[in-house]
Amino acid sequence: MPRSLLLQLARLGDLIQSLPAISSLHSSFPDQLFDLLCSAPLTSIGKLFPGIQGVYPWEGERWHDLAIMDGVDQGRFVIAAEQYLADCAFPRYSVAYNLNNHPRSVLASHLLSDRVVGAGDQGPLHLSLPPWVAYLRQIANDRGTNRIHLADAFCGVCEVNPPAVVPTIEATHVDLPTDLAHMVNDGSWERVGIVLGAGDGDRRVPIAVWRQFIEACIDQLPNCLCVLIGGLGEREAALALEDQLPPSYLSRLFNCVGRTSLPQLAHVFNRCQWVVGSDTGPLHVGVACGARAIGWYFSRARVHETGPYGVGHYVWQYRPGTDPGKLGGQDLNGLPQPPGSWPVRETLQLIQGQHESANASEWELWKSYRDECGMFYMNGEQPDSAVPQRKIIWEQLSAPSGNRDLNVGRHSHMAGRWS
Amino acid sequence: MNVFQENVSILRSQDPALASQVLNTPGGILSIHPAKSGQPTAVVKNRSIHSSYDPIREAEQWAAHHAKDCQAGEVLVVLGVGLWYHLEALLAKVSQDSLIMVVVPNLQEFVDGLAVRSLKGWGERVKWVWGDPEPMARQVAQQGRRVRLLTYEPALSLHSDAYDAFRLQLRQQLAKRASGTLHVMVVGPIYGGSLPIGGYVVRALESLGHRVSWVDHSLHERGYQHLNTIRDDRLRMTVQQRFSDTLGVISLAHVAEDPPDVVLAMSQAPLSMAVLEQMRRKKVLTAMWFVENFRHLTYWQQMIDGYDFWFVMQQAACVEAFKHAGASHVSYLPLAADPNIHQSVDLTEQERAELEADVSFLGAGYRNRREILSALLGHEWTFKLWGNEWDNCGTLAKVLQRNGARIDTPTSVKIFNGTTVNINLHSYTKEGFDPDGDSVNPRTFELASCGAFQVVDHRTLLPDLFDGTMMKIVRTPEEFVPAINTYLHEPEQRRAMAEASKQHVLKFHTYVHRMHTLLSAMGLASPDRIGAILQGERQAESLLARSGESPELIPLLNTFSKQDRVELVDMARAIRLKGPEAQLKREELLILMMDEYRQEKRDFL
Repeated sequence: MPRSLLLQLARLGDLIQSLPAISSLHSSFPDQLFDLLCSAPLTSIGKLFPGIQGVYPWEGERWHDLAIMDGVDQGRFVIAAEQYLADCAFPRYSVAYNLNNHPRSVLASHLLSDRVVGAGDQGPLHLSLPPWVAYLRQIANDRGTNRIHLADAFCGVCEVNPPAVVPTIEATHVDLPTDLAHMVNDGSWERVGIVLGAGDGDRRVPIAVWRQFIEACIDQLPNCLCVLIGGLGEREAALALEDQLPPSYLSRLFNCVGRTSLPQLAHVFNRCQWVVGSDTGPLHVGVACGARAIGWYFSRARVHETGPYGVGHYVWQYRPGTDPGKLGGQDLNGLPQPPGSWPVRETLQLIQGQHESANASEWELWKSYRDECGMFYMNGEQPDSAVPQRKIIWEQLSAPSGNRDLNVGRHSHMAGRWS
Repeated sequence: MNVFQENVSILRSQDPALASQVLNTPGGILSIHPAKSGQPTAVVKNRSIHSSYDPIREAEQWAAHHAKDCQAGEVLVVLGVGLWYHLEALLAKVSQDSLIMVVVPNLQEFVDGLAVRSLKGWGERVKWVWGDPEPMARQVAQQGRRVRLLTYEPALSLHSDAYDAFRLQLRQQLAKRASGTLHVMVVGPIYGGSLPIGGYVVRALESLGHRVSWVDHSLHERGYQHLNTIRDDRLRMTVQQRFSDTLGVISLAHVAEDPPDVVLAMSQAPLSMAVLEQMRRKKVLTAMWFVENFRHLTYWQQMIDGYDFWFVMQQAACVEAFKHAGASHVSYLPLAADPNIHQSVDLTEQERAELEADVSFLGAGYRNRREILSALLGHEWTFKLWGNEWDNCGTLAKVLQRNGARIDTPTSVKIFNGTTVNINLHSYTKEGFDPDGDSVNPRTFELASCGAFQVVDHRTLLPDLFDGTMMKIVRTPEEFVPAINTYLHEPEQRRAMAEASKQHVLKFHTYVHRMHTLLSAMGLASPDRIGAILQGERQAESLLARSGESPELIPLLNTFSKQDRVELVDMARAIRLKGPEAQLKREELLILMMDEYRQEKRDFL
């Protein structure tokens, strides 16, 4: 069976957003096997992806060590690098689907396969980008009125359509510590995963806000168990949060922060009904594991690009400047100003099934839908004019023969869907 | 035939002169006893040269520790002879392609070994190097291969002076053969005496053909000095520390942007331990030329682990103190002159009127100078005093020039040239001459380089650098006046001595000489990196000659000039120049990949 490789060397959020592309590739090419190459710390979650045969770790640290070896000339560098690749035991791939327009990813694609689809498809030094990669770069730079979701754009990069069914991750065969196992197996609770934050500091929600939200959940949702989610970097914040809560609330709070591997985290999320948090990797893991999401999108996060993937998710998008008291400018680091208020009460109402169309001060509520062009979010009952534009963009970028400079693609596996 | 005779026979086939020499040399240095394991072991003055339990096992541990760094084709120079257990063990662990040269500074010790341990089966692979340090060093350097020094300390300490002399000679021999060019980043202080020295160092390194990046923190002096307007001491010191830390991070950013082979910091360079630690993590070698009196300025104690190499301008006590504090490499490196700056110049009429004098002193107003120089007033000669920090200097105020303004280097050179007898008095914070005065100040070299005559106070390290035919050396403050009186009236002798000192500087004491010494010391201690580069191993010609294991790189290496230094970054650049349509070979992709990771800056700051 021919074997293909999908390369996603970016962070957890991007890896999860690649799941639809993997799913779509798998259904488009049922006679092929697909392997995944991802950042070494993420391989354990990659192994849970449906449709993936093997997961290979990309060890940036190892490459870095090779590159700064003492007293070694180029010949020995090459020998050492070849040895490293041989130790990894990569098969030879018929196609490499490269999702990152980064030199390392482009070079890795060409090292592992003679044919590359996606970034670097014309050669490792070629400057022109395939239409979908150029589009993603343009969105990253200009943003504009884009409504094509990143995960769907990844499908475009791989020359396939968005998947017919939203893929999910199941992590049922994962061992958990006793208390965690007890928590996830107790069927009497409605679990709300609360992602304290991960990655960049500008995406963190203040502890005082989370305290407010947890108190509201526990006060107003009789069967609610709040599950704190985060990595080791959030451990202190989680402990501080526990300290600040009245003792009577602690029996309805479960602190998983810094205690779980990625598969264990997925297992916990498999048992959560909701996940609430900012645009971070764990939020998207929660979504992929079947929880409904309510995202709080602020700083650089944009609902239309990286909103939770699937149907029925919500995103509160912060819109600086809607508050007449604030200018919506940037802080000293060039980042957007942090929100002055948070949609705590409104989020709780959504979990309770109320006020779907309400907007909070400075925050707009968006809800996710799907059609043949993939995901989109709407603020209100009717799609705005940007939503149907997606079809035109798909047609332009996926046209079978076109001029790259005009962002017109040539992807054969998509042809005819909307024609 | 006994062991000794058998050994002599083996030696004769390798080195007949050595064989005949050992026959005429008595032993008796080593006291031989059986170890618990039954093997002979050696003791000198109650100090064991090998284990008294199991010398073979001990030697194997030594060899295992050293062999892991050794690479095929190198010359492994072993310092420390003893009973050779360590040599046998080393031979068993290193490539057949390595040449092992053992430095024998004392034949009596060698004869003791020949009497009790056999060379049979392994001695043929060893080259014994004996004689005077200079020819021994030449013999090693002539091999034309990468040299790695391995020291067997218990035996080395028996003849440490001889080994030091050998090392010095080897450094010089290797420096003569150095053809490779380094990228050296020189980091200067914000201000102070080491700032101009930093400039001389930069010029010297450039004149040796190295690529130099000069991180000049004097650009920030005005801002730093302005912090003195903060009145609260604690607050001011905190802010100054933060300012200095920021300059350290700026230095780190320069390293990240254009990684050097070596970061050479001058005294007072604002590099914190955190910054130095980060450089070490990124495998950048660091060196500090500490051009301060280690007894007066003691911040080196906190920084000792931060630098890979220390160079100091004081000997013995200083070197010992640094080693005791934990410095892994510390070397004596005296100051020098820059003949392009410190030179004979003609003064204009106007300059002569202002700057000429029978007797001058240029320097800051330290306590001993205030006292001693006062004695130079009221004589028949003209006396001018130049320099700053002379507030409240009493009677000296009437000879203080330019109201005690700081004198820049070009003016200093003119003053030196325009003075008949230059007084050179080393600073001391008490009265008289510093009783511990060892290091020689830059002014000594600068005056000499200008061809200016000087009367200088005695320093313990001065005789190693200059002698009494080049300058008048006084041992007590009282000798200044008679010396001035004498030499003011001896123009020929004065001129001859000044000229001799100038020629001596040009021959031995320029910053070019110092940088040669500094880099060769680093090269010897770091054969894989600095040593390899200095010996030209990174030049295209040498890489081509060694491309047997990876012949696929030959076409790419051929695109460089033979003498070009070729690093990963250069190969990557050459590959990228092939253009966007290029179909790259696998090895080219690998080089580009490693270059991507080599450029990693994210974790630098």
